[in-house]
Amino acid sequence: MLAVTLNAENLSVSLDGTVHLDHVDFTLARGRLYTVIGRTLAGKSTLLRVIAGLLEPDSGRITLDKRQFSGLPVWRRDVAMVYQQFINYPHLSVLDNVAFPLRRRGTPKHEARRRAGELLMRVGLEGFETRRPSQLSGGQQQRVALARALAKQAGILLLDEPLVNLDYKLREQFREEFRGLFAGQADMIVVYTTTEIGEAMMLGHEILVLHEGRLLQMGRPADVFERPASTTVAEIVNDPPMNLLDGHIADNTLHFSSGMGATLPLHMVALPPGRYRFGIRANDLEMRPDGAIGGEVIVAEVSGSETFLHLDTAIGPLAVKCEGIHPLALRTQVRLALEPERLFAFSPEGGLVAAP
Amino acid sequence: MAQITLKQIGHSYSGGTRPGDYALCPLDMTWHDGRTYALLGPSGCGKTTMLNIVSGIVTPSQGRVWFDQRDVTGLPTARRNIAQVFQFPVIYGSKTVYQNLAFPLVCRKWASDRIRRKVGEIADLLDLGAKLGKPARGLTADEKQLISLGRGLVREDVSAVLMDEPLTVIDPQMKFHLRRKLKEINDRFKLTLVYVTHDQDEAMTFASEILVMSGGRVVQSGPPEHLFEFPQTTYVGYFIGSPAMNFLDAEGQGDRAVFAGIPLTTAYPGDRVPQGAIRIGVRPEYLEFVATAGENVLAAMVVDVQDHGGVRIVEVEVGGARVKVKLAREKPVPEGPALLRLPPGKIRLYRDGELVPLD
Amino acid sequence: MPGLYRTLKYAAVLLWSAFVVAPLLWALTTSFKTINGVTGGATYIPWLDYKPSLEGWRELFNTSGTGVNIGQPFIDSAIVTLGASAISLVLGTLAAYGLSRFTYRAGFIRNRDIVFFFISQRIMPPIVLAIPFFLMLKFLGLLDSIPGLILVYIALLLPIAVWVMVDFFNNVPREIDEMAMLDGCTPIGAFIRVVLPNSLPGVVVAGLFCIIFGWNDFFFAFTLTFTRTQLLPVAIVALNSTVTPWWSLSASSLISVAPLVVVAFLVEKFLSRGTLAGAIR
Repeated sequence: MLAVTLNAENLSVSLDGTVHLDHVDFTLARGRLYTVIGRTLAGKSTLLRVIAGLLEPDSGRITLDKRQFSGLPVWRRDVAMVYQQFINYPHLSVLDNVAFPLRRRGTPKHEARRRAGELLMRVGLEGFETRRPSQLSGGQQQRVALARALAKQAGILLLDEPLVNLDYKLREQFREEFRGLFAGQADMIVVYTTTEIGEAMMLGHEILVLHEGRLLQMGRPADVFERPASTTVAEIVNDPPMNLLDGHIADNTLHFSSGMGATLPLHMVALPPGRYRFGIRANDLEMRPDGAIGGEVIVAEVSGSETFLHLDTAIGPLAVKCEGIHPLALRTQVRLALEPERLFAFSPEGGLVAAP
Repeated sequence: MAQITLKQIGHSYSGGTRPGDYALCPLDMTWHDGRTYALLGPSGCGKTTMLNIVSGIVTPSQGRVWFDQRDVTGLPTARRNIAQVFQFPVIYGSKTVYQNLAFPLVCRKWASDRIRRKVGEIADLLDLGAKLGKPARGLTADEKQLISLGRGLVREDVSAVLMDEPLTVIDPQMKFHLRRKLKEINDRFKLTLVYVTHDQDEAMTFASEILVMSGGRVVQSGPPEHLFEFPQTTYVGYFIGSPAMNFLDAEGQGDRAVFAGIPLTTAYPGDRVPQGAIRIGVRPEYLEFVATAGENVLAAMVVDVQDHGGVRIVEVEVGGARVKVKLAREKPVPEGPALLRLPPGKIRLYRDGELVPLD
Repeated sequence: MPGLYRTLKYAAVLLWSAFVVAPLLWALTTSFKTINGVTGGATYIPWLDYKPSLEGWRELFNTSGTGVNIGQPFIDSAIVTLGASAISLVLGTLAAYGLSRFTYRAGFIRNRDIVFFFISQRIMPPIVLAIPFFLMLKFLGLLDSIPGLILVYIALLLPIAVWVMVDFFNNVPREIDEMAMLDGCTPIGAFIRVVLPNSLPGVVVAGLFCIIFGWNDFFFAFTLTFTRTQLLPVAIVALNSTVTPWWSLSASSLISVAPLVVVAFLVEKFLSRGTLAGAIR
C-alpha cells in the first residue's frame, strides 16, 4: 500500500541542550514536493533525520496513513534519502551502488542491475556503470546518490540540501532536471531542504519555513512569498532579506523613525494609527537620480545576473537588488526611490498586518 | 605591491609541447599593481596551475614570471614575498591570535614594540582586535581565514596576495560578512590580489578584472560588466549570468540577422554582419513581452513558468527554439501565445562560437 | 653540486641497507656451515671460503627420537598464532565498530578512555602479567596447553586489533552506515556489507600486527609451557647447549622468519592492488 499522508504531531528534538525542532506539526500528501526553507541550523536536517528514523524525537509522533511511523527502525521505513555530501559506497561500482537497495529487498541480481542501468540513464550517467564513485566528479557522484534513492521506490524521498556543494552552473542545471525527475513521481512524498528561496519556490508545490526549530509558515510558494506571516519569514523568503524599517502611522501619513514621511498607500488605509515595522523588498527599491533617499554604497555583490547593493541611507541600512552587473565602488553616493505601494506592514511584534 | 608579468608562460605536466599536453597554454599576461584579478573556471581549467606558477609551487615548463623588474621564475615560494590564503585556514591553533599575526614579524626579527603596533593596526582592520589574546583554535572558520590573510598583511613588503578559493569552508551565512571585509581591505590596501574561484558570483563581486578560463586557456578577460554584456564566446555567455545567455541559430543576410525567416535589426553596422550561418546571443534579462507586433518582434508560445520569488523565468518556444525570459515579479506573465521583442542594442552575433565585434 | 648531493644520498641509503640486511645474510651463510666453518674465523663465500653443508638444517628435523625436531613446535606456533589472531580480529573489529559509532559513558569514562584502556594493557611490562596469567591458567587447568596459550594471546592481541580498527572505522563517514540502513540493511548488515568492505585495509593491517606479535612472542610461550607444548621461539632457544650450534640456530631462525616474510609479501600485494591502497594513510 502506498503512502497517502505523512503526519507529524508536536515533534520536538533537542540535542546536547540545543533545540533543533520545537513542537512542529504538519501534514504532507503524496504526489507533492515540499521544500523546507531555512537558514543553516534552522532544524531542516533534523526534520529529515527524524522522518527517516535516524533520530528519535524527544516528544511527538509521526504517522503514515494514520499508522504509527515513529517507532519503526530505519531499515523498515519506506524512506530514501540524498545527503548534501555525496554519499555513495566507495567499494562498489556505480551500477552496484544503484542496485544495492534493490538487492536488499530481494530483487534478483540480474533484474536489479537492469533496473539500475535504466535509472542511471535517467540521471544522465550512461556509460559510467563500471566506474567507482571516487572516479566521478562531484556532480556525477550526486547523480549516483540520486539514482540510488530513486531505485528504492520509497513512498517518501528526502533530499537534504542536495545542491549546496555543487558550483552554480551545475546547481542551475540540476534544478531544471529535478522538475522533470520529480514530476513523474506521483506516488511519492518528496521533502527537499534548501537555503535558497529561488530553488524552494521553483521546485516546491508547497513551502515550509523553518526557523530555530519552529515551523513559521507553510503554504503555496506564491502565497508565502506574497504574504509572509511575520518579519522573520519575510527575511527568510527574500534574498537579500527584506528590508525592515521602524515607523508609525499617524494622521493618514506613514512616518519612518528616521523622520522621513510618505503618503499612506491604499492597502494600509484601514490600519489604525500606531507603531509598525515596514518591510520593502530589495528589488522594489529603485536607483534613480531623482530618488528621495540618499545613500552610500557599503558593498556591491553580484549574484547571477543581478547586483545586490548594501547601502547606508538616511532611513537606515538598506539592501537593493538591481538587474545587470553594476560594479559600484565603495562609498559611491546613490539616490533611491521608494514606492509606498510596495511596502509591507508588520505589527511591532512582527505579525503581518498589510501586504501590497 | 608589485606588477606581475607573465611572458609566454605555459605549463605541461608531462613536458610535451603538443596542444593537448598543456595544463596551461602559453600566454602573455600583465597584472597591474593594486588591482584585483579573478581566475574563474571549472575544475581542471588551468586556474590553479596559473596561480601555482605565480606563487612558485609550480615551475613553468616554459616562459618567465616577472615581479616588477625582477625575474622570479627560478625563485622558490619563500623568496617571492607573497601572501597566500588557501581553501583551508592555515593557522597555529595552539597560539593566540596575536602570536599568529606576529609570527611573520618575529621571524623577521622586528623590535617588539614595532610588532605590537603593526599587529594592533592589522587586527583592528580585520575586526580581530578584541580577540588578540584568545587561542586561535577556538575561532570560527571565517575568523581563521582572516588571520591567514592578516599574516600576509602585517608584512610591509608583500608583492602580491594570492587566494585559492578562500570561501570554500565558510558557512553560507558568514560568506557575506567575509566578502565585505575582504572588499574593504582590498579597497584600503590597494592589494595586487589574484583570486581563484569556480564561483562566478564571487569573481564578479571581487574582481576589477576577470579571466575566464577553460581547457588551459584564458577565454576572455575584462571587467565584470563587460563579460556580462559582451561575452567573447558562447561558452562565456553560458558561464556568466544566470540563467545563461540564449543562443539562436540564424543566418546573416545583408545587414540583417535572419532568424526563423524573420530579418532582425541589430546594432551592428551593416557591413559587419557576417554572411551565412551565425548565432544570435541575447540575455534573458533583455528580452521583453510586448502587446503589438513591430520591429524585432517574434511570435512565441509560453511553455513553462518558473517562480523564483523576485523574478520569474518564462520559457518560450520561438521559431523552433527554446528561449528563457527573465521577468520581474510585478510584470504580467503571458499565457499561451505571446509576442517577444529582441532589443536591437542587446543582440550579439556569434560565428563559430566567437563574438563578432561590434565596432 | 646536485650530483654530489645525490651521491651522498645513495651512499646513506646503501649504508643503512647493509646494516639491515647483514644479520640476515650472516644467518643464511652460517646455516650452511659446519663446526669447522664457524670456528675457523669469518668466512663468507660458499665453496671458496668454506664447504657448504646441510648439517644444520638436518639437525632440526631429527626423527630418531633423541634429538630435536622443530616440526611440531612450528605447527603449534602456527595454530596458536592464527587461532588467537583470528579470534582477536573478529572480537576487536566488532568492539572497535561499537566504539567508533556509539557513545558510551560510565561516570567520567568516555569512548576515548575505553580505547586508551585497551591500549594501556600493552604499556605494562609483560613480567607484571606473567604471574597472574600463570595462576589463572593453572586454575583453569590450561597450563602447558594450546587452548591456554590461545587465551593468553587473545588478551595480548585484542588491544592491537581494537586500536587499529577504531581509527579505520572513524574514517568511514557515519552517513555510509545510515545510507545502508536507509537502503534496507540492519545495523549488523550495514556493518558487514558496507563498513567492513571499506575498512578492509585496516583489517589486513590489524591482522598483520596480530600475526607478527603472536608469532614472535617468546616470553609467555616460555613461562606458560613446560613439556607437553612447545612453541617455535622456545624450541629454537632450547637448541642451545654447551657448544652453541650456530649452524642449526641460524637455520631455525630462518625457518621462523620465513612465514612472516610470506605474509608480508601477500599483504603488500593486497594493499597495492586496486583502489583500496588509497585508504591507507
